[in-house]
Amino acid sequence: MKYILKRLLFYIIAFFGALALNFFLPRMMPGNPVQMFLSNLYKSGGVVDEATIAAVEKLFGYDAETPLIISFFHYIGSIFKGDWGVSFTFFPQTVLESTARGVRWTVFLLGTALVLGFIINTLLGILVAWKRGSRLDTTLTVGGQILANIPSVVTAILLCIALAYTDIFPRGYAVTPLFFAENVFQYIGDVAYHAFLPVLAVIITGLGGIMGMRANMINQLGEDYIVMGIAKGVPDRKIMFGYGARNALLPVVTSLAMQIGFLLGGSLIVELVFNYPGLGQIMVMAISRRDYPLMQGILLMTTIVMLTANFIADISIMILDPRTRRQGVNGN
Amino acid sequence: MKKIWNSNIMRFFRNSPKTSVGAILVLIILLLTIGANLFTNIDPTHRFVDEYHVVPSGTHILGTTQLGNDVFAQTLYGGRVSILVGIFAGVLTVFLGIVFGITSGYFGGWYDNVITTFINIIMVIPNIVLLLIIAALLNGVSPFLISVIIGLTSWPWNARVLRAQTMSLRNREFVYSAETLGESKLRILFVEIMPNMLSIISSAFVSTLIYAIMASATLEFIGFGDPLSCTWGIMLFNANKSGALTSGAWWELLGPISGIVLFGVGLTLINFSIDEVSNPKLKAQRIMRAYYKVKKLQAKAMKKLSLNNTK
Repeated sequence: MKYILKRLLFYIIAFFGALALNFFLPRMMPGNPVQMFLSNLYKSGGVVDEATIAAVEKLFGYDAETPLIISFFHYIGSIFKGDWGVSFTFFPQTVLESTARGVRWTVFLLGTALVLGFIINTLLGILVAWKRGSRLDTTLTVGGQILANIPSVVTAILLCIALAYTDIFPRGYAVTPLFFAENVFQYIGDVAYHAFLPVLAVIITGLGGIMGMRANMINQLGEDYIVMGIAKGVPDRKIMFGYGARNALLPVVTSLAMQIGFLLGGSLIVELVFNYPGLGQIMVMAISRRDYPLMQGILLMTTIVMLTANFIADISIMILDPRTRRQGVNGN
Repeated sequence: MKKIWNSNIMRFFRNSPKTSVGAILVLIILLLTIGANLFTNIDPTHRFVDEYHVVPSGTHILGTTQLGNDVFAQTLYGGRVSILVGIFAGVLTVFLGIVFGITSGYFGGWYDNVITTFINIIMVIPNIVLLLIIAALLNGVSPFLISVIIGLTSWPWNARVLRAQTMSLRNREFVYSAETLGESKLRILFVEIMPNMLSIISSAFVSTLIYAIMASATLEFIGFGDPLSCTWGIMLFNANKSGALTSGAWWELLGPISGIVLFGVGLTLINFSIDEVSNPKLKAQRIMRAYYKVKKLQAKAMKKLSLNNTK
């Protein structure tokens, strides 16, 4: 338990760090959002006077009178009350509502890709480490690394040209528009059909994970207990999965934390190419319309997704590794 | 000629096909982009009137864009900017990573705690989203500024690796003896400790270079770069915006995509060989391959033998 509490404390600190970044970043930038908004308003023929300036400042939460640190605490308070401001792109909706709409699909996309990708990378990593030095090994590790080093934009565009524009897979949306499924299975099938290409693109960008699993597995295979197992006559498959892979898995789950951020970035871009209704779409809309409250909301929302994913990874480490559990018992 | 062929460097390249392919790819692309004016005499910003979306031909090797720009010229000149952005961001990232990583690993204590916490916080904030928001707050950015932003936001990954490596080195004898000799801290950090990590640093540089090219292409694809400048990302952005995909103008995408892919492949292969040189364990791969070959031959021989016996 101590381990989990320690991680939780770190995540809380990290969340406050993100909040601070979110609050101070726009205020540190050369032209602040209020001035930018006002100049855009002026250019498009709006009237700019004292009252408008005051109203815009209030809208953005800027206040020249109160000190920065006090308004920072106000900001934190309002975040926790669920008041993330009003988006001007989707006007009557609040930021929380409009991000919550997109985050469902992003989490679905990222979660599916993460789980499938993790399974694929781990299995391939184990296989490749077992047959290290063979032609299969070179092809898979080098090929995987190369595919992972192609930007997700390019992967998505290429998949789109090859499979979506030949009408094998749909070109956009998460479900067929104006389609009413007769039963749950049909709906699931439709969603899976639409999600196939985006998920595939995200999995491809994450193929670098094969290398990590391979390196850990090779290290484990050199250990004495493996030699002992082979000498005892334990079947190969059992040595592979029961002996080596179980231990090699731990550092991979830990390093997953780094990968999640990378994959999240990738999936936002993939959504854009495939016209998938996730956060990526909303983010680009927010950015092109200079909708600052919405942008900040998206940064917060994605950070929350990352922290949750990391926390799940931590819990699974605790389940996989008896040592962290025992540490907790001793601590109490 | 024979002397060159048998020299150490050539032998290294001959023994490692991965390295040679990677080096050749990177060299070709560097040559094509840096010497762009040798290979094409078309100005990338020049618009050919009434030649919009022209299919590749003798005069326009890769066709033209919707606006009538020559795709081949744009790819060459754009690659120059994209690669420069990558190199600059890579240098900045590695520099910051070295400074923060080595110092925090060496000094430890509260300084290390502060840096580590900061690194961990930056690592849980999604990098691409952060990049996008900074770019949006700056209201559209030039390629140079993009590389600065990438450099400032992606050093924690390098710093983390270098910090761990420094911590394992700092209790070695040579560091103690340098301390006893009274060498200055600066000298210990950068003359005693850093050279031991050159392989990590160079491989970090190459991977950051790849990442920076990827990230800048992504930022520009979304629509942040300066639309008047000419880079691979901007070309993708323009192609996407003018509907090159739907209208079937594949040539507009071919230039920037093959540039990014080939350069990425080349750098990845080079990175593999850097790892192989610095980590002798990985060289074992080649020895293992020889082992498999012998084993296969043996199995064949055994089969033959048993066949003969049954006869």
